[in-house]
Amino acid sequence: MSTERKTLINYIVEMAEDEANALARKMLDNGYDPLELLSHCREAMDIVGSRYEQGEYFLPELMMAGEMLNDISGIAKPLIQHAGGEEKKKSLGTIVLGTVYGDLHDIGKNIVTFMLEINGYEVIDLGIDVPIAEFISAIEEHEPQVVALSGFLTLAFDSMKETVEAITAAGLRNKVKIMIGGGQVDEAIMFHTGADAFGLNALTAVSLCKGWMGEEATT
Amino acid sequence: MTQQKLKIIGERVNPGFRSTKALFDNSDIDGIQLLAKKQQDAGADYININIGSRALTDIGFMADVIKGIQDAVDIPLSFDFPSFDVQKICLETYDQDKAGGQKPIINSISEHREDMMDALSIRPSKVIIMASERLEDGAGKANKKAEEVYGVARRLSERLIDKFNLDRDDIIIDISITTLASDTEGLIRMALDGMALIHNDSDLKGVHMIGGISNVGMMLPKKAVDGSPLKNSIERAFTTLACPQGFDMVLGTPWHDYSPLQEDHFVLNKFKEIIDLKGLDALRALRSLYKL
Repeated sequence: MSTERKTLINYIVEMAEDEANALARKMLDNGYDPLELLSHCREAMDIVGSRYEQGEYFLPELMMAGEMLNDISGIAKPLIQHAGGEEKKKSLGTIVLGTVYGDLHDIGKNIVTFMLEINGYEVIDLGIDVPIAEFISAIEEHEPQVVALSGFLTLAFDSMKETVEAITAAGLRNKVKIMIGGGQVDEAIMFHTGADAFGLNALTAVSLCKGWMGEEATT
Repeated sequence: MTQQKLKIIGERVNPGFRSTKALFDNSDIDGIQLLAKKQQDAGADYININIGSRALTDIGFMADVIKGIQDAVDIPLSFDFPSFDVQKICLETYDQDKAGGQKPIINSISEHREDMMDALSIRPSKVIIMASERLEDGAGKANKKAEEVYGVARRLSERLIDKFNLDRDDIIIDISITTLASDTEGLIRMALDGMALIHNDSDLKGVHMIGGISNVGMMLPKKAVDGSPLKNSIERAFTTLACPQGFDMVLGTPWHDYSPLQEDHFVLNKFKEIIDLKGLDALRALRSLYKL
């Protein structure tokens, strides 16, 4: 492992955001491959994620790491596009995601978005309290393989069901896999809503997408 | 500081708690009765009932749970499901005599679900109104400013008083307590400031204010750097600041301590600092609560 790579990963994992930002900038200024740099960030996020799973890290660390990654991506992404749009090729698939109408919760959704993005998927995040029609038009426009419906409130279950029904009515149901998450979803709710799968955390969302769309063979 | 005792709506009958979920999964009414009784014995003034997704798929079970709990406790119930159809079953099943003649609570009505106010025609009830979201251009929007919280509280209260003849004492405003661990937008500050505006409005004198207290300290480690129990200290930091603004009810666990913290408490002072920050600054300050 190169020293710079190791140091960058270490800064992110240890929440040293100023140092991580400065090093990333320096590496890119010196001509470091932006895609490779982002893959180091993903490695760092895997470590942060596993520390979170093990109870060593908590939500603030996940969010801070997310902010750091956003900042570094902000610097790296224009360079990737400049280098010929390789990033687009790298996307493993597209997910249209949003918190269903009537529900305003976004923490879980944002974590899922973030975890999917760093795992190589393109995420079209429609935000919170998303009207059914907006899901339909986003599916038509972006032709995703997966639709992810989020909701924390119990009332979200009905919104999810109506959204799935509308996707079916629009003739789009057999073109997408639908996963639900947030709050108290379980198998009964999955059947109630007509979704294909449910997840209790962001890592499950990533596993589901990997199962449906595959994953990168190498990092 | 002398403080009026907070009224507690016991929160434990909710599948969000792992041990309670097992009771629901096994349709263990005896276990649910014991849990309700335990909450009453620990000082609950109401028992909140949330049976999660089963309210949609098995409404008969909701009625069984209500009857079972009312056989075990003699305090009133709060029905936690934002749907008219589910509230209808709950309110029709509720036996007011078994609760010493006290009204149940409809939990909850928001500005974009005003139709749920019609449930009041089923039986006189107290109502929890959600002040964290508002109706704008036909859609629900999350409030980000104290004035928006206050505006919703005022509009919904006025409607309940003028159209449904509710007493102010029957109106409970849920000011919505955000999880501190994810509050990068100053939403706890918003709730506290919104409460102050409601508290100082003479037209709203007599209404109650509540919040789900268990949210505030979630997703954080057990101990603060000073060794104090972090989650509970954060809950108490919130009540310490909220009660003087008219916060007089909690949706919480009756055997937890929600009394105010001493003025010089480490967590209270950090809490005050964090809620005035946003973004990464808030997260950094929060982290200093548990990381040296």
